[in-house]
Amino acid sequence: MMRASSIVCAIGLAAVSLGTAVAEPSAAQKGVLDGYVTTARQEAGFSGPSAERGRKFFFAEHAGGKADSPACTSCHGKDLTKPGETRAGKAIEPMAASVTATRYTDPANVEKWFRRNCRDVLGRECTAAEKADALAFLLGL
Amino acid sequence: MTSATFFRPRGDDRRVASRPAARSASRPAAPQPAPEIAVWDRAVRAFHWLLVATVGVALVTGLWAPPSWHDVHLWSGIAAAVLVGCRLVWGLLGPTYARFSSFRPSVSRALAHLDAIRRNREPRHIGHNPLGALMIVALIGAVTVLTVTGLLVLGGVSKEGPLAAFTSFRTGATALTAHAYVAYALAGLVILHVLGALHDGPVMLRAMITGTKPAGTDAITAPEKPARPHPAVRTIAVAVAVAVVGTAVLSAKPVPGIPTAPLDPLYAKECGACHTPHHPSVAPARTWAAIVAGLDDHFGDDASLSAADTRRIADWLAANSAEKFDTAAANLMRTPSDTDPLRITATPGWRRLHADVPDAVFARRTVGGRLACSACHADADSGRFAARQISIPNPSPETKRP
Ligand code: HEC
Ligand code: HEC
Ligand code: HEC
Repeated sequence: MMRASSIVCAIGLAAVSLGTAVAEPSAAQKGVLDGYVTTARQEAGFSGPSAERGRKFFFAEHAGGKADSPACTSCHGKDLTKPGETRAGKAIEPMAASVTATRYTDPANVEKWFRRNCRDVLGRECTAAEKADALAFLLGL
Repeated sequence: MTSATFFRPRGDDRRVASRPAARSASRPAAPQPAPEIAVWDRAVRAFHWLLVATVGVALVTGLWAPPSWHDVHLWSGIAAAVLVGCRLVWGLLGPTYARFSSFRPSVSRALAHLDAIRRNREPRHIGHNPLGALMIVALIGAVTVLTVTGLLVLGGVSKEGPLAAFTSFRTGATALTAHAYVAYALAGLVILHVLGALHDGPVMLRAMITGTKPAGTDAITAPEKPARPHPAVRTIAVAVAVAVVGTAVLSAKPVPGIPTAPLDPLYAKECGACHTPHHPSVAPARTWAAIVAGLDDHFGDDASLSAADTRRIADWLAANSAEKFDTAAANLMRTPSDTDPLRITATPGWRRLHADVPDAVFARRTVGGRLACSACHADADSGRFAARQISIPNPSPETKRP
């Protein structure tokens, strides 16, 4: 009896940890996302982050930015589990949180890149809602 | 073989054709062809052929080889210098024809010899003829000058070796020009020397292999002098020991003007995000100041930083810019381009250094563009850019940059 229950227990644990390896963000990553969600709630019409809206935003061709970088995918690539490339030719580690575990853990770093990348792609800074959606999408990959 | 027998010229016992028969009586009287006279002892012959090899390698690697052959050039040059050093000692302590006293160079005698050749009355010298004597002095002199200028280049330009602590880049660069001219002159001398040997015919070449020449009553010989191998070996041993210890002591002295600190971690992280972080010594302070002031629109990218980080990076760049160092990189890239002042890769110095690297090589996926200094320079992060650290990555099989 002891033995059977411990096996069930182990299987259960394995399933849970498998789940976290693929999709569950770390505490630090959740903290970064929550920061944007809290700010976004003060903007009009935001009911919560949507990975689907984030995906559309990330793949869309935006107007107003620079000719070299109309979309987030211009540098990060279309397969976010693979490396991208900067305009200067250096590889960018894959954006999928499941591939590059160190991503989206430092709020200052995430904010720095949102500020730069949004100006390059949209010609303006992104709203907190756009950032929350994009992060929800990237954290779910 | 003891050094004494090694240095004894071959055929010692039948040195001159007219030697009294008393001596040869101790040997079985084999039928001898034309009597031979010993001219070049083993040491002289070994020196000659080793010098051919080392000078040959040094000339070829210096004039044509890619920079990765730098160390082969260096060591073949050092070997040639050591050989010449040994020869100088042997020229004072060796046997008859090895001695400088048997072939004092003289321009007037060389001209007289030329004139004799012209009149087809060329006298036969057992040792060096007056033209040959001049040639030997010129060859030894050229290798000596190349050694000195080479050490100045190594010290001033590469910031290595015994003179690094005392030689500025400017001195090293001047020495490099001289080194190149003397190397071309040496190549010319080698050609003349070979032509001279061809003129003298196979006897001369054979003598440099067997050590002997046919004697003859008309041949001009030199007064005989015994070799003194033991003092010679002792002198050479002391000289080598002094040179090795001296080089080690001098090379250990701290070298001014070379970067020693690692890249500032904040700089390496922030300015290494989109391209390899360039060593601050490869651009002057005004270039760095302009780059840091324009990070909002940095070659088309937004590379802006927080005010505090911007300040810290600006200060660090200003404190470590090209003006602060005396390396080749710092000296050659200190002057920005007039048309594109923010680009390191547009400076006249960078362009000149990389003029031979084709565009297609920079475009290789394994390189990653002109800015990826560290793809080809393994020591780019240290700011040294040593020739031996250059290696161009091969094209990867699958890809070129689109
Ligand atoms: C011009 C090229 C470029 C474009 C276009 C671009 N990015 Fe980036 N992005 C980068 C680089 C370079 C980094 C830093 C890479 C690293 O940290 O490995 C980065 C980092 C990020 C990060 C931070 C990652 C982390 O680990 O914290 C986020 C978030 C991000 N980008 C989102 C976006 C979004 C959203 C877009 C479209 C609006 C976008 N990027 C468009 C180049 C670009
Ligand atoms: C957001 C990406 C990004 C960041 C961050 C960045 N750079 Fe650049 N940098 C570039 C691009 C793009 C170029 C132009 C590349 C090209 O034309 O091939 C460039 C070019 C340069 C060049 C000119 C190189 C040449 O000789 O052609 C220098 C110097 C330079 N960067 C210094 C810096 C410094 C210093 C920092 C940190 C304060 C920095 N960069 C941070 C993207 C970046
Ligand atoms: C594609 C490979 C490649 C890249 C990338 C590259 N270099 Fe070089 N570099 C070379 C080669 C090859 C030489 C030697 C040229 C020669 O001597 O013929 C050289 C020579 C030099 C030298 C002189 C070194 C010496 O002692 O002879 C310096 C300094 C230098 N490069 C700096 C840079 C800097 C700074 C960058 C980045 C902005 C850079 N290089 C990028 C290939 C490269």
